[in-house]
Amino acid sequence: MTLETSVNESIIGDFLNFNKNIAEMPSKISVPHEVKMDTCDYDVVYEEDRIRMLHYKPLTKKQIVTPLVISYAIVNRYHIFDIDPKKSWIRNMLESGIDVYMIDWGTPTKMDKFLGFDEYVNGYLDNCIEDVCDRSSVNKVSLQGYCTGGTLATVYSALHPEKVKNLIATAPIIDGWKDTTVVSNIAKNFDVDKMVDVVGNMPPEFIYYCFSILKPFEQGIEKYLKFFQNLENEKYVNSFLKIEKWLAETPPIPGELFKQWIKGIYQENLLSQDKMFVGNQHVSLKNITMPVFTQVAVGDHLVSPECSMPLHYAVGSEDKNLEIYPTGHVGMIASSYSQKNVLPTLTKWIKTRSD
Amino acid sequence: MERSFDNMFDYYKHTSMFWNDMISMMSSKPTSLTAVGPLRNFTENIKKISQELIESNQEIVDFNSYLIEYYKQLGETWASSQKKVMAKVSEMPQDPESMEAYKRIWIDMFENDFTQLFDTESFSKNYNKLVSTEMQLLKRWNTIMDIMLKSANMPTKEEIDEIYQELFNLKKQVKKLDSSKKRSNRK
Repeated sequence: MTLETSVNESIIGDFLNFNKNIAEMPSKISVPHEVKMDTCDYDVVYEEDRIRMLHYKPLTKKQIVTPLVISYAIVNRYHIFDIDPKKSWIRNMLESGIDVYMIDWGTPTKMDKFLGFDEYVNGYLDNCIEDVCDRSSVNKVSLQGYCTGGTLATVYSALHPEKVKNLIATAPIIDGWKDTTVVSNIAKNFDVDKMVDVVGNMPPEFIYYCFSILKPFEQGIEKYLKFFQNLENEKYVNSFLKIEKWLAETPPIPGELFKQWIKGIYQENLLSQDKMFVGNQHVSLKNITMPVFTQVAVGDHLVSPECSMPLHYAVGSEDKNLEIYPTGHVGMIASSYSQKNVLPTLTKWIKTRSD
Repeated sequence: MERSFDNMFDYYKHTSMFWNDMISMMSSKPTSLTAVGPLRNFTENIKKISQELIESNQEIVDFNSYLIEYYKQLGETWASSQKKVMAKVSEMPQDPESMEAYKRIWIDMFENDFTQLFDTESFSKNYNKLVSTEMQLLKRWNTIMDIMLKSANMPTKEEIDEIYQELFNLKKQVKKLDSSKKRSNRK
């Protein structure tokens, strides 16, 4: 008896090509850790402990007077805002005549495990904004916060409204109880006291675990299959390596800040319930009376829209805008979609509300 | 007087602790004679290390059961997804277009089922118990390390943490002074 099997020739061809690509890969592409991440030039204008503030060099002759300070998230690094010249948030802002500063929260060490909301908001963020005000001879700045940086920017605007001309909250974490992501499902039952007591700072490995449960098959298998199939496409490979490098470089989170975050935002929902205190000061979202632009993404699997949107309804501002985009958490800030649909509205909004 | 035990663990713990203490007491004199200098500290601390190891037994058992449950949840979801995929693709022809469709079905099905699992309360609770027990075991390990460091006359984690806390408070005070100086200069 003979067993006959027939396999389509092109399947074998694809399989052989795939293997050939893997074998030839090292000679074709750069070493991932040597890939340059930023595309716009900047100067480091302020440093304190581990944090740095970057000031991007202008790309237009004339700029609006009110500078924009971006409070990046405490997870991953700021590079995603300027990782590809054609998808760069920063470049788009600079080309629109906006003077842009970026806060890089740096890499906390074991010594920084006592840093909490108070030190980040009333310390670092306030010092950065004071520095920008001195440099630009202004009393107020436009403040943008992304993801966890959006929460810091929101808390700052509630405590120091006199220094914020406009607040832009991009996928901020506001109402932890309404968050429907798998990350919040883990956070709600998490024994954060024990974790911080034993390991000090929140280790990057744990953050990677949280990333790995978000679309594990699309991000963990399909993405790499696509990469091996597209090795000839230089543009694709470059962009892939930059994103991978960005994803792999997340700093630890200071233990105290992480504890306050998980307990205060996800487990007890203090900010949204008007019960949050930072540095003995009550954080009331009603104190936010400056113009507010809230940006959320329908496909955000890290911060669900339901978690961010309450900000729009809770602030005391009369001039407020809520935009919901059909994209994802990263797609909202670093994609062709954001260049075409998110940034034009935002830059116009900032310019009409700036000096 | 005979003691009664609720379970095997309590019995095991009690017996181990009993012999640990007995051996430590019985051997204290000969140990004192043989161990001199800083090493004497270490021999004295061996009892504390044994105690930590005995105490960790229940936690190791708990950790294992949460870990088994964790893999069970992943394994069952995997099997159920695979079943669904097989049911859907069994009639598909074997050509390149179908291969691509098969891959899409596989990824979508698995993504959907695993996201549903990660979203359940049972996954979240078991996962967090697993991490919490792991932390408890790490804490015991830290205590053992601290005992050994103390024996070697080196600073322990607790002592370093105290220094960090002290530095943090000092830095905060300096920053406060700095900013009040800046403010008064502006005036």
